Amino acid sequence: MGKLLVMKEQLKNIYSKYEVYIVPLLKFITAFVFLLQINSKLGYMNKIDNVAIVLIVALMCSFLPYNTIVVVGAAFVLAHLYSLSAECAIVAGCLFLLLFLLYFRFSPKDTMVVVLMPICFMLNIPYVMPLAMGLIGTPASIVSVSCGVVVYYMIEHINANATTILGMTDAVAKFRFVVNGLLNNNLMLITIAAFAVAIMICYIIRRLSVDHSWTIAVIASALTNIVILLIGDLMFDTNISIFGTIIGTVISIGIVKVLQFFVFNVDYSRTETVQFEDDEYYYYVKAVPKISVAVPVKTLKKINTQKSALNTVKPTQRSQVTSRPTSGTNSTVGSRTTVGSNTATSSRTISPTRQQTSTNSRPQQGSRTTGGPSSTIGSRSPGGTIDRK
Amino acid sequence: MLNEDRIILMTKMAAYENNEGKKNGMIGSYFRGDYIGLQVMKSIISATISFFVVALMFLFYDFEKIMSDIYKIDLLQLGKRVLLIFVIVIAGYSLLSYGVYSYRYSRAKKNQNLYSNHLKKLAQMYEKEVKK
Repeated sequence: MGKLLVMKEQLKNIYSKYEVYIVPLLKFITAFVFLLQINSKLGYMNKIDNVAIVLIVALMCSFLPYNTIVVVGAAFVLAHLYSLSAECAIVAGCLFLLLFLLYFRFSPKDTMVVVLMPICFMLNIPYVMPLAMGLIGTPASIVSVSCGVVVYYMIEHINANATTILGMTDAVAKFRFVVNGLLNNNLMLITIAAFAVAIMICYIIRRLSVDHSWTIAVIASALTNIVILLIGDLMFDTNISIFGTIIGTVISIGIVKVLQFFVFNVDYSRTETVQFEDDEYYYYVKAVPKISVAVPVKTLKKINTQKSALNTVKPTQRSQVTSRPTSGTNSTVGSRTTVGSNTATSSRTISPTRQQTSTNSRPQQGSRTTGGPSSTIGSRSPGGTIDRK
Repeated sequence: MLNEDRIILMTKMAAYENNEGKKNGMIGSYFRGDYIGLQVMKSIISATISFFVVALMFLFYDFEKIMSDIYKIDLLQLGKRVLLIFVIVIAGYSLLSYGVYSYRYSRAKKNQNLYSNHLKKLAQMYEKEVKK
């Protein structure tokens, strides 16, 4: 756990330092994966079904706002569908128009969910999204997740029935076929219902003031999700794979827990580069958030109360070992730690960073190495306190 | 002479101006009624376009049936029904918009007030420095 905490702090540090490069890189990766998946699923227009074009567009997206990815993705989908059939493109265009006009006008930040939802579906881990949005979002996230589900199933329906659509000659029949595919898709409706309930449960539980509320929320909503999907399968015979759903949910829980640890609970404070002026000066300020690399430090208390064993520390005699983070870096904290050795004291505290080696050592009188090459335990005047040099 | 506290405050304010401040400044430049009215108006336009898009899709979906029954349909009754649905949809969406934008306006105003307090504090710092 200590190592993970250190890693988290280091990630935070790296993010603060290289945010200027990391954010565009993330945008690039998201856009690249999204567009590649659209091309692999649809790919009816040869002109844009090209890695070079996807690469150029993704590079362009990396320097533009996040929402550009959604717009470009929608344009790619429409272009592919237009190549297949104008009616499909009209249905998809109307759907996108409704989403943009009615919902994303209110919450433009949620547009990324529509991008991530199909990506998660194609990676067979769609359950990540409701759990993640339940943790970091609001009940309004139900709408954005549902939009993502609708977009995915629309693409899926058209892709699965491309031959049928091409075989139709009547425009109205094609149009009706695509719309029916959306309206009568029980699997889509069940998925939306399951995700909506999962988000609500996750949101409600994680706000409760109970210990491990986030973990309980994730597990409860994942279970609810599975139950609703299975009930829906029994009711509408949607052929959901029970085994796949359970495995997917377990993997999703794992992913969400990792995200929770490294992303959701961490304030990746932004480095601010600002410039302003007053009557006397021009200020060019780079405000870097304070970073403290948490180093796990174990504290050893009440080593021995007997006089005869005062200078002997045995692993079995340790009554309490606690771990606490401390500020500073590995190179400074605990680099040289001196522990007092006093015949009059009954308790002693050791807090070097190299906790494992130091607690397992058996110090004798005089100076000796405990925690690797840089930590020492030596004799000291009464008091039994710690000195850090 | 450089004043550390003042620079910290000014940096915070500049960071706010660069990020949230722009949007809040735009919102704060309106009176409450004007801002909410404008946004609700935009919502009505969006909802109207959406309504017509859905209506056109419905028309195209049932095109053959509608064309065959066009002389049997009571157009006045149909018009009334469509109008009623339109009014309900627009009213509902407008109400939702009103709630959302009222909340956003009050939040933006709160942040703007905080920014104003920082400005006053900064002015006081300058005054103190001049007196010294």
